[in-house]
Amino acid sequence: MTLEELRDRMKAARVEIAENRLELVRRLLTDALRPIHAMDSRKHRTLEPAVTFDAGRPRGDHGQ
Amino acid sequence: MASDELSYATIRDIGARFRRRALSPVELTRALLERIERLDPGLHTFVTVTADRALADAKAAETALGRGDFSSPLLGIPVGYKDIYATRGILTTGGSALLADWIPTEDATCVTRLQRGGAVMLGKLITHEFAFGIQFPGHRFAAAKNPWDLERMPGGSSSGSGAALAAGLAFGALGSDTGGSIRGPASFCGIVGLKPTYGRCSRAGVLTLSWTLDHTGPMARTVEDCAYLLQALAGHDAADPAASRELVPDYVAPLGRGVRGLRVGVVREYFFEGIDPEVEKGFEQALATLRQLGATVEDVQIPGIQAAGAYTAILLAEAFAYHEHDLREHPERFGEIVRERMLAGALITASEYVQAQRLRAQLRADMNAVLRRVDVLATPTSPKPAPTFTTVYDPEYGFPRGNTGPFNMTGLPALAVPCGFTAAGLPLSIQITGRPFDETTVLRVGHTYEQATSWRTRHPNL
Repeated sequence: MTLEELRDRMKAARVEIAENRLELVRRLLTDALRPIHAMDSRKHRTLEPAVTFDAGRPRGDHGQ
Repeated sequence: MASDELSYATIRDIGARFRRRALSPVELTRALLERIERLDPGLHTFVTVTADRALADAKAAETALGRGDFSSPLLGIPVGYKDIYATRGILTTGGSALLADWIPTEDATCVTRLQRGGAVMLGKLITHEFAFGIQFPGHRFAAAKNPWDLERMPGGSSSGSGAALAAGLAFGALGSDTGGSIRGPASFCGIVGLKPTYGRCSRAGVLTLSWTLDHTGPMARTVEDCAYLLQALAGHDAADPAASRELVPDYVAPLGRGVRGLRVGVVREYFFEGIDPEVEKGFEQALATLRQLGATVEDVQIPGIQAAGAYTAILLAEAFAYHEHDLREHPERFGEIVRERMLAGALITASEYVQAQRLRAQLRADMNAVLRRVDVLATPTSPKPAPTFTTVYDPEYGFPRGNTGPFNMTGLPALAVPCGFTAAGLPLSIQITGRPFDETTVLRVGHTYEQATSWRTRHPNL
């Protein structure tokens, strides 16, 4: 992520961050988003349920 | 004044002294309150010491013991609560100026459960601001110090919990863990911390940081003490939508079964990047001990492990979503570090957040597949020993990538256990992770290792 892209995102989100801290935030976001930008979303399932029900349990499910 | 021997006793040992009338809960509580008064001004582990409440709790425990009530191992045991747990009628700050005067009207479920077990409430323990941002000098709430080296951080965000236990100021504590906030302080302070399975312990009444990653759990000086605390904490709670109805097993009785025949998988990719040589040496020695104790130790690979870094995107986005109103209306009431980190969450797109959750689902599937072949995973808890305050106060110091976040992504139970010291005397720690709701095996491995070593007998020179 470039500083220019960071500023664009700040403008869109209506967020202000001190100019002297932008490089740190840029690095934080770059690290956080690296695996996301590296993923090929076509290779991941898109069937995640919003809720699950298990007839074997009285109520709810822990989802594991 | 509490002697070191008494202050560092185990919960089992204290219970035995109570039963044979060699010690009373009131005597013990008075001794700890005096120790806190003497040592805490130099450690800053407590935000609020509830001396009157502690003595009242201790008196009630003493009365119960006098009736011959030995039903709870926590009866009369002094504990502290991280200051993000709501406590009825008692200041709960979250380490934030926003909540500096907040007096909750209800207790968090975990607090209620320890109180039902007869625990004595010593007070509220300092936390990083909203369990996220370290306190810079001048912050309204001074940062806790590491009892092993006062120039170093005790870790966070359950910083007061870790430091108080290491200093012998409490016998148990509650922490919370969104990316390692129980296990990090446990690692840096040379104590034990358990992040249970997501849904195992209630989060009701605990301040939110990132609700799909937040966990509550116990911290103590030994694995068995953690097991006693977990026994009281675990179980369904209708007030927490994520709480599981999974049955609660006996966590204490199986501790002595050893590790012979258990399979330990060592994950080297990701968890050894940038590792300190002394951390690596201590970890390898711990593996050798587990082998000697009869466990099978083998390297394993988790295909999607590099995606664990997406954890930060989820954390930032959810933290901003939760705190957005106050961040926009009262930005000056946040410390600058926590404000910047949370505002960064506003810059993550909806698509990026969704993709991070999809990577998380894949990582969970990959880890669960590996845990069908081995019983537990082992990694260093932290790739480096406790950093100095000078290091973390450097304006260039970034958001550290730790070894704990991957297990918040997957929700698996993970235990930090001391595994040695650096040449400079800083604690080292091994992280044991298990299958969903298999805290029993995780605790058993940790306890067996702990009992085969003597690390727990070392204490900081205060």
